[in-house]
Amino acid sequence: MTEKVLFLNQKFDRPATLEEYRENGGYGALALALEKYAPGQVCDLVAESGLRGRGGAGFPTGRKWLSFAGRKQGPRYVVPNTDEMEPGTFKDRVLVNCDPHLVLEGIILAAYAIQADQGIFFIRPSYEQDAQLIEGELNRAREAGYLGKNILGSDFSFDIEVHRSAGRYICGEASAQVRAIQGYRPNPRKMPGLHLTERGLWDQPTLVNNAETLACIPAIVSRGPQWFKKIARTPSGAGTKLFCVSGRVVRPGCYELPMGTPLREIIEQEAGGMLPGSEFKACLPGGASTRFLPKKQWEVPMDFESLKKIGHQLGTSSIIVFDHNTCLVAATINLLNFFVRESCGWCTPCRDGLPFMRHLLLEIEHGRGKEEYIPMLRSMAGQMRHAYCAFAPGAAEPVLGLLEYFEDEVREHLSRGKCPCRFSDAGGGFRRKQCLT
Amino acid sequence: MLPEEIRHRLETRIAASAHPRELVVDVMYELQNHYGFLNDVALREVAELLQLTPLEVEELATFYDFIYRRPVGRFVLHVCDGVVCWMFEEQSALDYICKLLGVAPGETTPDGQFTVLPTVCVGYCDHAPAMLINGKLYGPLTPEFIDRTLEELRSISCDLVLCR
Amino acid sequence: MPYLIIDNRHIQVPRGTTVIDAAERLGIMIPRFCYLKVLGAVGACRMCAVMFEAGPVKGLQMSCMVQAADGMRVSTTHPEAVAFRRQIIEWLMINHPHDCPVCDEGGHCLLQDETISGGHSRRRYTGAKRTYPDQDLGPLVQHEMNRCIQCYRCVRFYQEYAGYRDLGVMGIASRIYYGRFSDGALESPFSGNLIDICPTGVYTDRPSRFLARRWDLQRADSICLHCSLGCNTVAGAHYRAVIRQESRENVRVNGSFICDRGRYGHAYANLAERPRQSRLDGEPAGWREAAREAAARLKRIAAAAGHSAIAVLGSARNSLETQIMLRYLSHHAQWRPPRFFVNGSEARSTAAVVARLDSRLAAGLPDLEEADFLLAVGVDPVNDAPMLALAMRQAARKGAKIVVLDPRPVELPFAFDLLSAGLGDLPAALAVLVKTAVSQAGTDGCEAQEKAFLAALPGRVPDEKLQGQLGQAGGWLAASRRPAIICGSAIAGPELAGLAADLALLLQTGKTPSRLFYLLPGPNAFGAGLLQRGSRYFPSLLQDIEKGGVRALLVVENDPFFRYPDQDRLHSALGKLELLMVLDYLPSRAARAAHIFLPGATVFEAGGSFINNCGLLQYAAPVHEGGIPLAQVSGGSHPPRAHAPAPGSEKCPSAYEALLFLANELAIRPPTMDASPWSLLPEDFPGQAELLAHPYPTDGLQLLPRLSEAESLQTPVNLPTSGPAAGALTVLRVEQTFGSEELSCYAEPLRQLAGPPLALLHGADADRAGVRDGEQLCFEIGGEKVELALQVTNRMAPGQLIIPHHYALGRAACRLPAVVAQAELRGLTGQDSPDLPQAITES
Ligand SMILES: Cc1cc2nc3c(=O)[nH]c(=O)nc-3n(C[C@H](O)[C@H](O)[C@H](O)COP(=O)(O)O)c2cc1C
Ligand code: SF4
Ligand code: SF4
Ligand code: SF4
Ligand code: FES
Ligand code: FES
Repeated sequence: MTEKVLFLNQKFDRPATLEEYRENGGYGALALALEKYAPGQVCDLVAESGLRGRGGAGFPTGRKWLSFAGRKQGPRYVVPNTDEMEPGTFKDRVLVNCDPHLVLEGIILAAYAIQADQGIFFIRPSYEQDAQLIEGELNRAREAGYLGKNILGSDFSFDIEVHRSAGRYICGEASAQVRAIQGYRPNPRKMPGLHLTERGLWDQPTLVNNAETLACIPAIVSRGPQWFKKIARTPSGAGTKLFCVSGRVVRPGCYELPMGTPLREIIEQEAGGMLPGSEFKACLPGGASTRFLPKKQWEVPMDFESLKKIGHQLGTSSIIVFDHNTCLVAATINLLNFFVRESCGWCTPCRDGLPFMRHLLLEIEHGRGKEEYIPMLRSMAGQMRHAYCAFAPGAAEPVLGLLEYFEDEVREHLSRGKCPCRFSDAGGGFRRKQCLT
Repeated sequence: MLPEEIRHRLETRIAASAHPRELVVDVMYELQNHYGFLNDVALREVAELLQLTPLEVEELATFYDFIYRRPVGRFVLHVCDGVVCWMFEEQSALDYICKLLGVAPGETTPDGQFTVLPTVCVGYCDHAPAMLINGKLYGPLTPEFIDRTLEELRSISCDLVLCR
Repeated sequence: MPYLIIDNRHIQVPRGTTVIDAAERLGIMIPRFCYLKVLGAVGACRMCAVMFEAGPVKGLQMSCMVQAADGMRVSTTHPEAVAFRRQIIEWLMINHPHDCPVCDEGGHCLLQDETISGGHSRRRYTGAKRTYPDQDLGPLVQHEMNRCIQCYRCVRFYQEYAGYRDLGVMGIASRIYYGRFSDGALESPFSGNLIDICPTGVYTDRPSRFLARRWDLQRADSICLHCSLGCNTVAGAHYRAVIRQESRENVRVNGSFICDRGRYGHAYANLAERPRQSRLDGEPAGWREAAREAAARLKRIAAAAGHSAIAVLGSARNSLETQIMLRYLSHHAQWRPPRFFVNGSEARSTAAVVARLDSRLAAGLPDLEEADFLLAVGVDPVNDAPMLALAMRQAARKGAKIVVLDPRPVELPFAFDLLSAGLGDLPAALAVLVKTAVSQAGTDGCEAQEKAFLAALPGRVPDEKLQGQLGQAGGWLAASRRPAIICGSAIAGPELAGLAADLALLLQTGKTPSRLFYLLPGPNAFGAGLLQRGSRYFPSLLQDIEKGGVRALLVVENDPFFRYPDQDRLHSALGKLELLMVLDYLPSRAARAAHIFLPGATVFEAGGSFINNCGLLQYAAPVHEGGIPLAQVSGGSHPPRAHAPAPGSEKCPSAYEALLFLANELAIRPPTMDASPWSLLPEDFPGQAELLAHPYPTDGLQLLPRLSEAESLQTPVNLPTSGPAAGALTVLRVEQTFGSEELSCYAEPLRQLAGPPLALLHGADADRAGVRDGEQLCFEIGGEKVELALQVTNRMAPGQLIIPHHYALGRAACRLPAVVAQAELRGLTGQDSPDLPQAITES
């Protein structure tokens, strides 16, 4: 068994209670930090640990925190991002349900490190049960003196409230999330040269971090940054990572493993291998916004750098496994349906370009494709990187993967004038109508 | 008309908030739960409570997935059409549910019990295929499971609203 | 100052300039949709992509989102950038209806231009197009949503820039919809700008819908005459009718936008009932015949009763040329000096402004946008001069504190503090506020005279609540660095104008150097103010007519009946005249009463110069020849359409030309017939020498002295704080955005937006008078009925009855008394000779 950082108190059938959390050393990091470390020192520890954001972009967490030094006075905010609406991703749900106080302690430590006054726990509507769980645990933490005025007798005060979203994938994007909280239309917003850490919520410095990122903090503080860094299996990684495995595997689920665990090992050992009768064809290694990864690459260690080296991304480390029966053109159409529907409508490539790409793929899937559609798709998918936010480039990733590794399959659609795959072809109504927006 | 009790509770919350606009989603939810959906009356009440214009509320209401500007049933079945559930739908859950209830996606049963809405990944991929009913996750879906669940819901008298 | 290279050309630009603007300075117009300089950059459309080849930013980037920096090398023609922009256009066009043949934007459409320039000419998208229902947005703006390319310009202007909240963006993804919550007229008085800024044909001009292509219009630069700000427009005429106006950018005046009164107010020029026929004693006559007869009668009267038996009335809507000519003519013919205002209070206020405004004090609209504290007194911006409100909003957006001191329930599209004070209390309240500020900021820099002036200012107003508010606002003023005072002239008298100048001067000596911004009663009131010097006001003229001292009156583009309170007196006085000669383009009462009538030409036909409220001389070019608009004689709305000229549709001479003709007939010749009008200027006219040095016409000359000649700090310090007697209400006649101003109130689409005639009353007064909100007040005056819908509001000062001028109110409404008793509100009847408002009777 490898070392557990996030699932230390996992009970499988219910969340760990505050008492259970404390028995295992919970809130010790907070007490330690308040007693021994200045806020800046906590930032330094996190920077030293090599922790990178678990929300998808992998931004070095310590660097983000350190940028708060010298920011303007007035209220500061921490926003634990639990929007998690990327298809295939459910790690934050499992995490919150497993050990809510671990996440809360992480948030409070982050708040201390950047001297925030208020936390806003942003949570998607399909996690309403978890929102209620969090609200209950917040009360317990408050009663126990971990939240509110003068936390643990120090002069640091901080509290957290839950913000319920009304549901849109784009609300997970940090700047859109800030607008969503304020009650504005949640389009991402960028101001040239200005970051959320300078002007976020109500124009005040704001830290947006993924819930999993924050849950790593207590261990970094209590066991030290070097320890954290070293539990990774690759030198380029740090810490453990929650891997969501879904699709045609025996044991879909969320697994905590050291950063850098090889993809094959995760699928074959943790997730129990492919379902009987299924053969591995491809997976999306990091959620819907990453490229199809073919079998020839499945030995890759799962960390940011190793994947990057072979042209892939860790994303949310949600491994979606497709088997040999699945038409990847159809799968890509399904993914584009999602992106087309969820586009915030702000910029042209995403709003109008994605429907165009989906149209081309639908034509191909239905046997009306033309040779010229392939270069058109490739070019349009390439142009997505010039969209306003990271949504559209993410949407283009599966298409780029499809064309890079499975162009033959696409061409087969053209040459046969219909979908060549059993899954897609079998008639009899087991594949449902494409749900167009 | 909004019952005095709800209005009072919302007004108190709004008055206590440094940025009342932050509450707009909560207020929409609250009125939606009261009226069954965010009808025009409710939308105008949201606007009035928060000193927004109806247009400003509509800008938000029409952006979000879980705010209903048209009537929905007592139970809203958000059936996942995310990629994981999609690949498990050899007996398409959506088709099955629609056939069972005799409605098309997006429609409500004539008795006002169920509305079926295809939805993006509900974050229950480890239990694919999955759906969400009034804020509660269900999966993996099989025809028997669906039959049983809908039957149970029909007989529940309370609305079981976590959120719709 | 960053130094960069764009397409191999070097340029240095001020820090903060975006690359898209830097390129524009070089004449390189990078394609764009969402970017508009005034609205700022948001990077939504992705159309302005260029290649950054070297420097701090690398690769393909949006030129609107990147600020120019040293060492940048930018290529707008890089193949990748060109390909990307072509792709954007293709994406934008997949849902576009391609309905250019029936789209009024066609021919001046940015989407057409960029589609062509982007090289997108072959449709590759074979899917279905998304379509939308349209909305009825009221009489001004037509909505056609299918043409939308989702650039967000409209919402950003409407909500962010202008501050109105009934048009926005709904939905998500490729289904976003721009419109209102439901059908209905747009609430913003700036809605017409949507037409100018929308890069496609979603919003088009509704009154001129389907009448003409823009390229078929006769277009020329014009000036708005519907208030004193002098916003710049481009007017377009077609088949002898002015059918459309657009805003014209002028960074010194209106910036990029105009208000809807200005955009749609031109209908008076096309009216079917516009007088086109010269008349002599009620009978049609040739123009020359009538003009010659006028000259003959004038000579006769001068011979019989002396030159001073002849008087002249111009107006604040005369062009400066006309005003100069009037003054020249009356001077050389030894008639009485010209008057320009019927209302004595307006004449005196304007005189005060002209005497006091100098370049030390004067602020323009752009200066107001930069202010950090604005104090508006006696002003209701949206109703008096709408674009003023838009400028104030820009200051508010940058964090300025804004205070309005006024009796009216002023509403503005931004947060501000309304300090309600009765009309009589305005000067004292203003004085208290400024006194607080100066005392707080310290009087170190003040001379003895200034200290004495300060000490003599009142320190209190009787109303406790107001006193508290004034103190607080005084604190804000003291803390500000770039304050400005905005002073109206529509309701308050000349004392307020003088006091505002004194206080601004006082502030200038202290730590908060304040600027000053006046509103004036009319588009060329400033010119009138300069040229009325030495003359007495109209009410005194009326007495002279009654006494027989004046026997002939020449009225040029004015209608004394328009708002004169004592209509009967005016009627009988003018009836005594031997000669009432009227020259105008409006179907006015005076025109009908004239012995000799000459039809005039509007600004669209004659052109002309106008001096705005800040002393800025601006030239409006003639747009078309004029004449009776061509009538459509074929049926249907579809081309080909046949039109026919109406008979008698020759162009009318301008007032200037008519007066020149008269001068000739009277043997008063200007130096040369075709000399510049500036050569007729009196010597004491400010800037006369400068004007003479300029060719005619001149545009954009500031006609303000560096220092005002008037002595400063001259206000009588015992300022009134007078309310009406107990139980009485001061009647305030005020402007309304639409339907009240003399010219624009003829425009049907604006009339539709004017609402019913209103009366406004404070809740306490309503209670005492026993009237309720929504009730119909019905007065009977001189046998005529005046009906007003009562609105009760506590946002106004008590003690006033506010009645906006309204096109639908008849003559009787002019005769509403200056003061009414509360008891009379339920029916004011049988007033034979109402008490005239004091301001008007004074001479
Ligand atoms: C379309 C889109 C959706 C996103 N959704 C999420 C999300 O659900 N949860 C999350 O933590 N980050 C999400 N992100 C990433 C956030 O923008 C942000 O980078 C992240 O929350 C920062 O936290 P981290 O540094 O801890 O990863 C999303 C980004 C994009 C572009
Ligand atoms: S890429 Fe553009 S349209 Fe898509 S979500 Fe981001 S900002 Fe919105
Ligand atoms: S209506 Fe016009 S201005 Fe508004 S988004 Fe559409 S194209 Fe742009
Ligand atoms: S603000 Fe005045 S000058 Fe400007 S457009 Fe409006 S009416 Fe005309
Ligand atoms: S894809 Fe259906 S729950 Fe995630
Ligand atoms: S003009 Fe630059 S992105 Fe639209």
